[in-house]
Amino acid sequence: MSDQTSRDKLQEIEAARTSVMDEGRPDAVAKRRAQGMATARERIEQFVDRDSFREVGALVEPDRSNELNRDLVAPADGVITGTGKVAGREVSIIAQDFTVYGGSIGTAADLKAGRLVQRGLERGLPMVMMLEGGGHRIQDGMNAAHFAAASPIFHTISKMSGWVPNVVAIMGQGFAGPTAYASLGDFVVMIRGKSTMGIAGPALVKAGTGLDITKEELGGAKRQADEQGIADLAVDTEEECLEAIQKFLSYLPQNAGQPLPIIPCDDPVDRQDDKLLDLVTANSRKVYDVRKVIKSIADVDSMFELKPGFARNIVTCFARLNGRPVGFFANQPLRKGGILDVPACEKAAHFIALCDAFGLPLVSLIDIPGISIGPAAEDTGIGRRSGRLFFEMGIATVPRVSVVLRKGYGGGYYAMGGGRAFDADAAFAWPTAEICAMSIEGAVDVAYKKKYLAADDPDAVRTEMIDNIKSQTGALDAARDFGIDDVIDPRDTRRRLIETFASCPARRPDNSPPRVRPISPI
Amino acid sequence: MAAIEVRSEVAGNVWLVEASPDTNLEEDDVIVVLESMKMEIPVTAPSKGKLTQILVSKDDMIAEDQVIALMEI
Repeated sequence: MSDQTSRDKLQEIEAARTSVMDEGRPDAVAKRRAQGMATARERIEQFVDRDSFREVGALVEPDRSNELNRDLVAPADGVITGTGKVAGREVSIIAQDFTVYGGSIGTAADLKAGRLVQRGLERGLPMVMMLEGGGHRIQDGMNAAHFAAASPIFHTISKMSGWVPNVVAIMGQGFAGPTAYASLGDFVVMIRGKSTMGIAGPALVKAGTGLDITKEELGGAKRQADEQGIADLAVDTEEECLEAIQKFLSYLPQNAGQPLPIIPCDDPVDRQDDKLLDLVTANSRKVYDVRKVIKSIADVDSMFELKPGFARNIVTCFARLNGRPVGFFANQPLRKGGILDVPACEKAAHFIALCDAFGLPLVSLIDIPGISIGPAAEDTGIGRRSGRLFFEMGIATVPRVSVVLRKGYGGGYYAMGGGRAFDADAAFAWPTAEICAMSIEGAVDVAYKKKYLAADDPDAVRTEMIDNIKSQTGALDAARDFGIDDVIDPRDTRRRLIETFASCPARRPDNSPPRVRPISPI
Repeated sequence: MAAIEVRSEVAGNVWLVEASPDTNLEEDDVIVVLESMKMEIPVTAPSKGKLTQILVSKDDMIAEDQVIALMEI
């Protein structure tokens, strides 16, 4: 028996560890440099508070049990896992190492990731995945003895949903596996010109369908962030990507059992911005940028927009009100008149779910011409998909305030939480509000066409009818029958929101019947 | 320099042509204003660049996703 102790053995252990670190892999690091990319370990170091990362599983060896994988050399099996602190708060981190068989997910890598996700779930830690790779490792996966068992990781990640924030950064190629992880993410970030996402990459698309397409065209940020919204944000650099994640997490508690991170605020509660008096005209033909309204109301520089390039007819953003994180969703007249189409409904519905899960009060700013109509809209399944917005509003238990800036028309007004539709803690309207069941011109043409066509001067009669209706759809009319709580000076919106949320409990009791779960329309 | 197409997000009529060809635009500068859904909806420059051509005129009917101008960025 050897009488060696740890003192003697440590050198061997540290040599093994160094061999999988960047300093032990100069060729791999040089390759990354040539590509203008950071290593997985550098990304983690940049992301977490100094010296706070605690790795597990660095010393694993890859599976070498079959013909294809017998000779694999795979440091840490191509994934770095552990915990680190971000602004003093602990998070779980999974970072795929593209220099190890293209970031492919090996058997040991899956075990490491699975254990980390499970531990994070038990401890209530946010999950951050920095992904770059091609999915399942072919050398491990092309035999049923291995693949039949699949992996429980999606089961575990699903359990995590709504409990801890789940962030996915696609930091390079992210077809297949990374996209599958991202499909369950609460916040997905891409880097323009570098990141790609999709069910399969160009090679498989070519083999399966014959189509020639570049990876950027197939799954770049333009398609996946701006056009499809499966990523919440596209940024220009790795640094911006990591900063965006830090910022996203700063609005959220560690898990749904923790209180909101309310920070000190020196922006006065009663700050009044005269710009708000003229930004929205009662003339509903004129458009404006609703982001200016949010910026003005929220604490200075606190607005963080999610999906800014996707479904721009609705704006969804985190912001703070007197230091308290809140979620704004607002119709954007500047884009498509602010109409609610399928992408806008899904963007808002997902955002409401995110805010509700983590306790952020909701503010809806309403200027809605309606829900999208016509055959093209029906072909998108709008009749069903718009229902998710009602659904999410209906099951939410966070405080919520609605503010009608101008148009509050039809089902869209309900979906945005106007009036008493979803028991808002406060339902406000600006003086420019105009609230009714549908567009006024449309209503006159549907219900009174025969009448005005029979008149001597149909145009004059039609105009008179429209004016008559307009005279009973204003803010004071809305207040008269107590459909809303108050008509407010736009400059007081900030103060009224802050006061309302300060007086509401963080959650209202869930008075649902004793069901096991509700069923989302989509 | 890359040529890009500026497309309309909505169907409508051209109500105003705001910008002129051969001018430099900032991102979000208005190129034309459409009348759609009883509103004046701007079609804006998707990024900073030079407006090379406007392909529509006042009162034209525009389909959703129609190219209304060309730019070089």
